Amino acid sequence: MTQIVIDKVRHMYRPARGRPVLALEDVSLEVGEQEFVALLGPSGCGKSTLLYLMGGFLPIESGTISVNGKAITGPGPDRGIVFQHFALFPWKTVLQNVLYGLERQNMPRDEREARARKFIDLVGLHGFEDNYPSQLSGGMKQRAAIARTLAVDPGILLMDEPFGALDAQTRALMQSELLGIWRASPKTVIFVTHDVQEAVYLAQRVVVMSARPGRVKAIIDTNFDKTAPDLLRSQKFGDMVDHIWGLVKEEAIKAQMGRAT
Amino acid sequence: MSAAALGKVFLRYLPLALLALAWEACARFELVSSSALPSLTKVAAAWWDLAKSGDLVENGAASLWRAGAGLAIAIVVGAVLGIGMATWRAADVALGPLVDMFYPLPKSALIPVTALWLGFGDGSKILLIAMGCMLPVTLGAYNGARSSERTLIWSARSLGASRLRMLRDVIVPSAMPEMLSGIRTALAISFVLLVASELIVARAGLGYLIGFLGSNGTYDSMFAVVLTVAFLGFVADRIYLLIMRRALAWRE
Amino acid sequence: MAGMSPTMAFVDGRPRLRIRFRDIAARWGAVVALLALWWALSHSGMFTPFMLPTPERVATRMWDDALAGDLPLNVALTLYRALAGFVIAAVLGVLIGAAMSRGGIIGWFFDPIVSVGFPMPKIAFLPVIVLWLGFYDVSKISMVVFDAIFPVITGTMLGIKSVEKELIWSARSLGTGESEIWPRIVLPAAMPQMFTGLQVSLPIAMIVAVVAEMLMGGYGMGGAMVQASRMADSPGVFAGIVEIAVVGWFLVKGMASLRRRLLAWHPEADTPSGV
Repeated sequence: MTQIVIDKVRHMYRPARGRPVLALEDVSLEVGEQEFVALLGPSGCGKSTLLYLMGGFLPIESGTISVNGKAITGPGPDRGIVFQHFALFPWKTVLQNVLYGLERQNMPRDEREARARKFIDLVGLHGFEDNYPSQLSGGMKQRAAIARTLAVDPGILLMDEPFGALDAQTRALMQSELLGIWRASPKTVIFVTHDVQEAVYLAQRVVVMSARPGRVKAIIDTNFDKTAPDLLRSQKFGDMVDHIWGLVKEEAIKAQMGRAT
Repeated sequence: MSAAALGKVFLRYLPLALLALAWEACARFELVSSSALPSLTKVAAAWWDLAKSGDLVENGAASLWRAGAGLAIAIVVGAVLGIGMATWRAADVALGPLVDMFYPLPKSALIPVTALWLGFGDGSKILLIAMGCMLPVTLGAYNGARSSERTLIWSARSLGASRLRMLRDVIVPSAMPEMLSGIRTALAISFVLLVASELIVARAGLGYLIGFLGSNGTYDSMFAVVLTVAFLGFVADRIYLLIMRRALAWRE
Repeated sequence: MAGMSPTMAFVDGRPRLRIRFRDIAARWGAVVALLALWWALSHSGMFTPFMLPTPERVATRMWDDALAGDLPLNVALTLYRALAGFVIAAVLGVLIGAAMSRGGIIGWFFDPIVSVGFPMPKIAFLPVIVLWLGFYDVSKISMVVFDAIFPVITGTMLGIKSVEKELIWSARSLGTGESEIWPRIVLPAAMPQMFTGLQVSLPIAMIVAVVAEMLMGGYGMGGAMVQASRMADSPGVFAGIVEIAVVGWFLVKGMASLRRRLLAWHPEADTPSGV
């Protein structure tokens, strides 16, 4: 069943100084319920902008985005978000961060406390409840941010290069854990990344975006069996990554040229 | 505290002790005239007399009340103004240029004006300190609030916070570090304005006491009060630093 | 606060056009509005002319003072005292700060003095300095130096201490001689924080020069204001505050534009300073 409909969205980015830039041009996309979709493209292609539009953080000037048939007008707890740089409240402990969304829902104290601890355990942060974010490593911060978002049980999870700031080992670990969590309780996930392998590994569909202004260049079905033990070295996985990499590379070159002129 | 740590503190502050010794020696051996530099022991004795007679406590209380009340007003008004300007564009457009214009004003120029308005008493000092200390707080709150990260604001909104809630839960805490250092600047300015205005136009307060003792020629007592004011300013700053560190413990 | 980076546009998310022209208009608009408000209040009868003289009277007063030669003399004297003190504080402060940054006996000796002296209200020593040095310029300038030197020392010391090792190592491996490391690498790298120290110290120099003049009387903007205040000459007091405000504004803005010019490479070239 279709859950998110993006229809002919166009977006101008207006920097504080300098000329406005066309960030997105005529983007249309449909995402089904409990589907895992990756938005892939070179930096500056507007993939994060598209995600922020879905989150309701930026105003939609032209075109529409609707969720479950209703046009979105602002942020809401039905769409949880995870940012690249975690965006944890630095003045709150891990527990207080995870509790924040639950407090906004007027959940009884005991219930929200139990629920927050459950999600902290789920992401493997047991024992760090009372630490401030500044006392955690990058991977642990992102675990806390994911727990905070999952705790309010959003139907849609928007992820903005969530593992982009982590080292390679941590990233691999987090990817497989995210997939585990998603398989255990499926949600709609929109996952922005510029890492082709990450996109193919995680997503059921990969949306390749063009260099600025961002358009949908190609949509590739990556929904094959990924439970094989040495999936990353399999022929099928490698071919898929090569194919998509070729598409992205063209755009990355275009983006570079565009910047040079 | 262990003996080693104690030794370290001693070594660190030894230069101050050496300065005090040099002072005492200069005065004892009459290297400078004793009226220009009474010996430290005489100053200490004069301090004890002032403390016993109640002069020090009475004038000290007057000074602290003025500084405290003025600062409290400056902090409340300054913080509201700064955060208001950072979040409400109309306020920024209307008041921003005025803040920009008055921020560089050498605050001591306000002394005669407040005296003109409210006379020589507490009111004029409180108004002076409130006016002189407000803008550093405003600017700190303003810059701090504007540096709030948009992803934090968005996170709060997407977790279900209303706009007002977001202001309280994200903008105000984000503004805190810069606002608190603005308040530290204000604290320093408050002492300068307090002492200066009491020296120039007052009938009570530690600054007044310094001027009074100086014109009487009782220099050992004057030095005692000068050192007391310097010490109070230093201690106020250190106490404030401790509070600030506690409030910002989350930054590590 | 135009010119300090754009407003928090993302709070309500609506896109908006920002044109520099508007900022300039807002600034002059605010000046005009303030004058209009002053005019209206002083003519409304809510305040006596003693509490709030009309802007016309204050302007006339300034014009008369300018013609009589008092205004330029007072401004020049105050500026001389503040700037002489500031320059001495800057030179001494940089020297002491640089020496302290290398540790050793100088670092050991000055460290507690600076950490105790910086937060102290040094203005309380004004009568002591008058006692020692009399009522003339020497004592006023000394007071300015005593107050303005601390931010320079701390700024220089922190600036030099926070120069990254890697920067010096790169310079050495690129063939910079030992004698060139300080002038070519360390000082430029420490410049932003040193300059911040100077930017904090200049307004202090003005504040202290004015207070010293107020206490000691005589010529100078501070002395003129106190004189006017004692004679209940309120146009004189208001003329004084306008003059001091204008002079202070030019000094602070001048330092900021000097920073932009000298430190164009530094990302914080635009940031305002404290105090």
